[in-house]
Amino acid sequence: MLRQIFRNRHSGVPGLAFWVCLSVAFAPFLMAQTAGMGTLMGRVIDTSGNAVTNATVTATSVDNGRMRSATTGPDGTYKLDMAPGNYRVKLEAIGFKTVEIPSVTVSGTETAVLDEKLKMEEQSTGKPTPAQQDNLPNAPSSSTTAPSLSDLGLSPEQTRGNPQEQALLDKRTHMLKIHQRMGLITTIPLIATVVTSLNAGGKSEGTASRDLHVALGALTGDLYGITAYYAIRAPRIPGTKKRGPIKFHEAMAWIHGPGMILTPILGAMAFSQKNNGEKVHGIAQAHGPVAIVTAGTFGAALLSVSVKF
Amino acid sequence: MNRKILIAFLFVAIPTFGADSQWVLQQSTLTYHVSHPLHQTDGVSHTAKGKGVCHAGECDFLIAVPVKSFDSGDSNRDLHMLQVTRGAEFPIVTVRTRLPESAAASATINADLEIQFAGQTAQYKQVPFKLEKQDGETHITGTIPATLSDFKIDPPSLLTMPVKNDIPVRVDMIWRQQ
Repeated sequence: MLRQIFRNRHSGVPGLAFWVCLSVAFAPFLMAQTAGMGTLMGRVIDTSGNAVTNATVTATSVDNGRMRSATTGPDGTYKLDMAPGNYRVKLEAIGFKTVEIPSVTVSGTETAVLDEKLKMEEQSTGKPTPAQQDNLPNAPSSSTTAPSLSDLGLSPEQTRGNPQEQALLDKRTHMLKIHQRMGLITTIPLIATVVTSLNAGGKSEGTASRDLHVALGALTGDLYGITAYYAIRAPRIPGTKKRGPIKFHEAMAWIHGPGMILTPILGAMAFSQKNNGEKVHGIAQAHGPVAIVTAGTFGAALLSVSVKF
Repeated sequence: MNRKILIAFLFVAIPTFGADSQWVLQQSTLTYHVSHPLHQTDGVSHTAKGKGVCHAGECDFLIAVPVKSFDSGDSNRDLHMLQVTRGAEFPIVTVRTRLPESAAASATINADLEIQFAGQTAQYKQVPFKLEKQDGETHITGTIPATLSDFKIDPPSLLTMPVKNDIPVRVDMIWRQQ
């Protein structure tokens, strides 16, 4: 029965539309995979040649200001994957003088190597340097009384950046952006499926409208699957307590998720019964109501994070 | 006699030269506002820490607030905000300013602010603040006209529509002089 639906999907215009839509949907990801990426790597050592661990290496693109950071490991090495271009690189470590390299070129074909030696800081007070003092607003002053972050009771752990967490956040946002876009794209065939259902069931005897309804439903299911994948696989950020509309959005998924599995199964049963000249009966009768609840909760989930109530 | 005059002078002079005073931030509410065609959102933080050190008639102020502490009522939005502002890499927003000590007696001040946020530094000139004195405390209110582009932040988008570039930050602080 399912094989028959699949064969129908491939045999006509709806089947072709399905593959075209799927190809269009996947095109950006395929292109992203083939785009060239460069690598900057190296080792940070002190003046005695010992590895400097936990040094932060920050590369800022001269072209667009985008930043990438990495922390050196126990052997003092670091690695940054980034788009080819010119970068300003800053190396920072507690107890060492910060080093800035104004221009490092990263190409897409060769790995750029940047080894650096850090000098010990003479005496770190955490207060602005004279140069920074001059930059302070409301007239320059020779005052050295400006409070520092440590004066506010902030520990180095609180003020130090966490590139790993930033990378996790970047990945999460990237995946949820795709989730959001795919969710929006999914609404188009979803609405079309609901609209074509008016001619697909009931007393209608024609098969063309039913085939179109099936093809659109299959496309909706596939796109929904991709949408759900990006939400499920998006990394969780430790220590984050969920609050606000996102809780409702996720609760709705527990309804439209099973609904998206159940609807095509019931639909396939109804399709088979109609093709055999039978009136839709038994559990297949639930196809319509289940589909409406599924589409409704999907819409509610979308609205919950789009419009403020 | 001369020694007595000298000692008397020192007693008068020491409090004058050593009259450095400090200001400590007692309470604060910092609120950023984001506009989107479908949303108007406020993110609030009450966890700013601040200190002002006065010397020779000038006071240097430093206010620091963790980026993570801003709460917009939606954890998903807050995490997104944290990502676009590079909040894990640059976890603290700092505001520095220098004001004359006499400014504390005024009803309004115009402060030049230097803000470090998202790995960038932006200067805001002559930002007006209102001052009210109450029970030995100074209540300061005002709005910093910040924008996303000041800190090279790409405007986040919802349903493919980006938020507005303006993110004004309302400041409501209570300071106490020590």
